[in-house]
Amino acid sequence: MTRSVRLAARQALLDQRSFWRSVEYALFTFAFPLMILLLVGAANVGSYLPGTHVKNTTVFVPGILAFGVIVAAYVNLGSKIAVLRHDGVLKRIKTTPLPSAAYFGGLVASTVATVILITACTGLIGWLAFGADPRRGGLLTLSVGLTLGIVCFATLGLAISSVITSAESAGPIAYASFLPIAIISGVFDPTFSGLPQWLSRLVAAFPVKALAQVMQGAYTVRPFPAWDLANLALWTALGAGFVAWRFRWHT
Amino acid sequence: MTDTRVIDERTAPATVGFAVQVRGLRMSYGSTEVLRGVDFDVRYGEVFCLLGPNGAGKTTTLEILEGFRSPTGGTVRVLGLNPAAQAARLRERVGMVLQECGFPRQARVAELIDIWRSYYPHPRPLCDLLDVVELAEVRNTQVRKLSGGQRRRLDFALALAGDPDLVFLDEPTTGFDPEARRRCWAAIENLRRLGATILLTTHYLDEAERLADRIAILRAGRIELAGTTHEVAARAGLATRISFTTPSALRGGQVALPDGVGLAVRGPVSVCHTDNAAVTLRRLLDWALENRLGDLDGLAVAAPSLEDTYLELTGPDPEIT
Repeated sequence: MTRSVRLAARQALLDQRSFWRSVEYALFTFAFPLMILLLVGAANVGSYLPGTHVKNTTVFVPGILAFGVIVAAYVNLGSKIAVLRHDGVLKRIKTTPLPSAAYFGGLVASTVATVILITACTGLIGWLAFGADPRRGGLLTLSVGLTLGIVCFATLGLAISSVITSAESAGPIAYASFLPIAIISGVFDPTFSGLPQWLSRLVAAFPVKALAQVMQGAYTVRPFPAWDLANLALWTALGAGFVAWRFRWHT
Repeated sequence: MTDTRVIDERTAPATVGFAVQVRGLRMSYGSTEVLRGVDFDVRYGEVFCLLGPNGAGKTTTLEILEGFRSPTGGTVRVLGLNPAAQAARLRERVGMVLQECGFPRQARVAELIDIWRSYYPHPRPLCDLLDVVELAEVRNTQVRKLSGGQRRRLDFALALAGDPDLVFLDEPTTGFDPEARRRCWAAIENLRRLGATILLTTHYLDEAERLADRIAILRAGRIELAGTTHEVAARAGLATRISFTTPSALRGGQVALPDGVGLAVRGPVSVCHTDNAAVTLRRLLDWALENRLGDLDGLAVAAPSLEDTYLELTGPDPEIT
């Protein structure tokens, strides 16, 4: 057990070092959410949600927190595993006595590190630039949201990796499969509305809006997000089922 | 305490029996029979080569020995273990170089070898590994910047990281230029010197001839012949070739051809084929002495080469239905 943990930790360190070595990739992962935070945040300064005293940025900043979790856990981890599979690295791992749990545990641990860093940057910039900070007691909600978000979207990332057939399409497929949903979920625009009812119901079924709403609960007082938590749990189960069904060590 | 047990397990089988035993191995994919009763043994400490044309079943055989596939029939023992059932224990003692296995793109050479070492209970020292595969100079280079030959040698280093008793090499030099092949061969010879048992597949004859202690020729799912290079060639029933420069007296017709050796004059060279080189040679030399032809310039006796055998065996395939 301790040996597996040690092996997973080494794996996570190597993965982090590799991540920061491809500077463009690392910067893009970080720059994308932060750029949206600054640009869209600037456009919303001084506005309030219609009919309330809640500042737009108080809702928007936690939305970007959710976005960061999804980019790191779903897009990055999913496309990384697709590339590792395509390059035959997973097949090579399979020739060694390394337990699969230690290998994937290491990759997930490295993802957790990336998520924590993105969350810290987003939270800090949101506070310094727009004065948006978590409400009293919000840190607990934030931790629950981060944990569930990572578990859910890392599982979905593993699932989408099994659908991606080439290394070149890994990034585009991972992004294209969630960005449209993120846009119509209102992650980038707190006042986003006017969707036909059927579409807004459909969007609410996806875990993107659910995670954003859990995160918003850390910044503003909201009712206990029972439905959102159930939604994330359901998608985690669906993702895990798909992984069990379709996961392959090689192409 | 745990260590003693592990060491006992590692050393005990090395003194007796075979590293690999294959009996009546059969494999079918759907209705296609890929292996149709394959038998061979690999002894401890030898380099054993499975030679055969593409599609002969080499990679399938290897994948069964590695525990990646379960055979349709027959028995397989690798280091005394059943690979399909005891894959986890086998992985600690076997190194594998598979076809089409990549590396994490941004990892550096030494860093990657080092993490690979951590997967095994008794790793070989990092410096040793870098030396065996001649990669010490590029130890801090990112893997994606290595040449094809260097990547293949890194494959070897990773396969050796756990100080394996047995190494599988699946077509290790396919698609390489002569220089890269030469360095790969050097690495394999270094491996052999370390005492590892090596099972290698290839479709290159010179590679088999150069590296292997023993060879088995696999064709259409069966072992056609097995043994040392010379045994394989001899068992194929091919004749020894004796040749010499045609003496001018013979070309000019002043001297008659010798009896009973089937000598053929092909312009400047005279050639005959025989199953008994000693008798034929004696007759030829007696004939040369009688006719004052001297020592027969350019006299050469060539044992049947592996290439002759291989081409004979793998030529047009009568068995494919």
